[in-house]
Amino acid sequence: MSTEKLALTTNSSARKPASAGGASNALAADLTRALGPRKVLSNLSERLNYRYDAIQFGATPLAVVLPESTEDVVVAVRAARAAGVPIVGRGAASGLSGGAAPLEPGLVISFTRMTRLTIHPERREATAQAGVVTLAVTEAARPHGLIYPPDPASFRTSTIGGNLAENAGGPMCFKYGVSGDYVRALEFVDAAGEVHRLTRDVFDLAGLLIGSEGTLGLITEATLRLIPPPRFTRTLMAHFPEVGACAEAVSRAIAAGAVPSKLEFMDRACTNAVEDYLHLGLPRDAEAVLLVDTDGEDLDTVQDELRLVEDACVASGGTVRRAATDEEGAQLWRARRSVSPALGRIRPQRMNEDIVVPRSALPDVVREIRALGDASPLRLVQFGHIGDGNLHPNILFDPRTEDAHAVHDLAHRIALVAIRHGGVLSGEHGIGSMKRDFMTDAVDPGTMQALRGVKRALDPSGALNPGKILPAEGVDG
Amino acid sequence: MNNDIPVQALGGQGEVMAHAVDACVHCGFCLPACPTYALLGDEMDSPRGRIVLMKEVLEGGLPLADAAPHLDRCLGCQACVTACPSGVPYGELITAFRGWSEPQRQRSALDRSKRWAILKALPAPRLFSVAARVGQFAKPLAPVLPAALRGPLDLLPESVPAMQPSAKVTPARGMQRGRVAFLVGCAQQALAPNFNAATLRVLARNGIEVVIPDGQGCCGAAALHTGARDEALKLVRANLNAFNPDDFDAILSNAAGCGAGLKEYPMVLHGEPDETRAKAFAAKVMDISEYLNTLLQNGELEPPVPASRPLTVAYHDACHLAHAQGVRAAPRALLRHIPGVSVLEVPEGDLCCGSAGTYNLEQPDLAGQLGARKAKNILSTTPDLIASGNIGCHTQIQSHVRRQGSPTPVLHTIEILDRAYRGEL
Repeated sequence: MSTEKLALTTNSSARKPASAGGASNALAADLTRALGPRKVLSNLSERLNYRYDAIQFGATPLAVVLPESTEDVVVAVRAARAAGVPIVGRGAASGLSGGAAPLEPGLVISFTRMTRLTIHPERREATAQAGVVTLAVTEAARPHGLIYPPDPASFRTSTIGGNLAENAGGPMCFKYGVSGDYVRALEFVDAAGEVHRLTRDVFDLAGLLIGSEGTLGLITEATLRLIPPPRFTRTLMAHFPEVGACAEAVSRAIAAGAVPSKLEFMDRACTNAVEDYLHLGLPRDAEAVLLVDTDGEDLDTVQDELRLVEDACVASGGTVRRAATDEEGAQLWRARRSVSPALGRIRPQRMNEDIVVPRSALPDVVREIRALGDASPLRLVQFGHIGDGNLHPNILFDPRTEDAHAVHDLAHRIALVAIRHGGVLSGEHGIGSMKRDFMTDAVDPGTMQALRGVKRALDPSGALNPGKILPAEGVDG
Repeated sequence: MNNDIPVQALGGQGEVMAHAVDACVHCGFCLPACPTYALLGDEMDSPRGRIVLMKEVLEGGLPLADAAPHLDRCLGCQACVTACPSGVPYGELITAFRGWSEPQRQRSALDRSKRWAILKALPAPRLFSVAARVGQFAKPLAPVLPAALRGPLDLLPESVPAMQPSAKVTPARGMQRGRVAFLVGCAQQALAPNFNAATLRVLARNGIEVVIPDGQGCCGAAALHTGARDEALKLVRANLNAFNPDDFDAILSNAAGCGAGLKEYPMVLHGEPDETRAKAFAAKVMDISEYLNTLLQNGELEPPVPASRPLTVAYHDACHLAHAQGVRAAPRALLRHIPGVSVLEVPEGDLCCGSAGTYNLEQPDLAGQLGARKAKNILSTTPDLIASGNIGCHTQIQSHVRRQGSPTPVLHTIEILDRAYRGEL
């Protein structure tokens, strides 16, 4: 296991080196000359704020660039290359795997000012620069009778560039797919500072960049597919006395032929954390809550489909409540979107898993993970896009009083449950630095070599987001 | 967020600050709620970023002077508190931090004298009234004055009304339903005395006796939020002595900023002997709209006279009502209760108007951008009237609405209710 595995303490493990930077460092000076002072941050107070994402704190960067165009990104990449320092791309830094947290001092390129967005209704497309906030795409498209379906919980904050780097999903992904499914074309800057524009014919290099977490290139702009919104949507909430029963209901509903647009699950601790925040009257005593949307063009079909789900829930021992109004439905979804940060009310820090398992294995997997949690002194909660088999077991802990090794060990055992049932380590949050060390369990040595080969081909000097996804050389033999 | 804040050395306010830093999980849900992040687009001018900066300064890892420019830009609007699922009491953190850090600040002589003048004038209505009149004479000079002095002059109304002291006791009309104490406020008395007059009339009409206790003064919020903690403590203690919560059903304020300030007393006195008294006091504090809405919900509110024609009212959520006090439904319910009145929602309604206490004086550029954006958003609804529940918002919105060429009246929620009762709507 590498020494810097899982920086489980938010900031003590990677204190800024006292000598790293100051306004006078050479990289910051070069960048300021090339881009002007407005686009370059070099003071310690500024750089300190570009070392974290929503999970982890990393090393303080030497400089931060806030580009306003692809040309600015090119200038920044070339300057970092000349200085021989690593480059980390960053959107809103709402990621949950340490993906945007630099592991060593270098250059951070923050895309929050690249926000140009154009809707092309006749082509049902949007062209978005990397820093466009996810929700803004749908807001701009809606007057044209279109929406952009990928809807990660952080969609009010997160950026398109970050979504694509992590191939983010969201509740809509069960029926409508994840971010990568909506990309028609990509523009990116490679490690040498060259600009490339990719479509998805010939080699699907765009597909390679999507989900690569900034380790193969920096996505600067994307052409996104838009769709008309469904005319009707109906919402129900079901609650269950046991977590496995909830997973059974999901399998049963899908086997019966239902294709809900959203199928989301939260366990008792999640429900209670959200209830503390929003006071919606969620069932605090239930061991599992399931939220379901069905949607479509024909109301009868939408209602029929909801009934299939309802029957499946009841057959699995659940209690069902249909949302009486759109507003009530919207409130329930707001509850689900708030789960992740609301967990901060229970413990200040968490290890976030992002496993995906075959749906047929769901009841066994959620029960096995629940049992691991019950056997551990640590607090373990589960929620996720259960319709996709995408679960987010989270270990909640207080680094001042709880043992980081025990957290890591429990996370590892959860990852092994997923792998044993034919699952994978990441559905949508990326591997980042948090799950990097589990890659050797999940990927065979030959495949790992192939991944390293791809990385070397696109980033020969290893400058792009080092320390993410791939374990250190030698670990995989 | 993990931290090594030396709580012991910092005392009660250290506990307040460390607790808030602990609670932040740096998820970024606060970013889209923050007005300065919306304008500047960088992490240091967001709530999450400011929490990191304050933590670093408190731990001794970052000089205060480096963090100060970003912390000074915070409006204290607390929109991030509403947006935060983890429950970070950001407002308490920034307030306590400002109190802790101000004595260590190196400010220019001009800066110091400006702050001194504000802190002296704001809590003294007569002095403020005089200052406002002097300012009126200075208005023609505005184009040649530096921006720091031009900002406040721009905000002064066309005419500064005469002071109208309120009666110490206003008896209930008809059967008496309740008895409340009322905080008359400071700058508001000078700039908009009608707010208080309308408040007293509406309460009396609803059978509420209103007492204006002697010895009360400024709530202390302006001093507290600009870091003048010692000044603030004097004002807080004076009010704790003036108001005996056991004597009243409620302690009312009709200015969102003051109401929020009064509700902060337990935080200000955390860990000190007066904390228990402050809690008993704060438990009785209500905004005028909250109080009247309880009457409405109990079916006890006198029915207002219907408006003479259908009226649309764009309701502006003052940050210190909506975010700091969580009061959103009550003022809307009161307005809707007037037959003929409908309430319009303002686009980007959660975004601060830029007034924010002394922000207009300290950050005139950002305040101006936010004021213009707010006025544009409000006017996009083409309302007949604009309502808010805070003197600061009122002044700012009126100024920017006029600047955009609109004559639409800007009123306090209570003024609209008062006009309805008088058949003048």
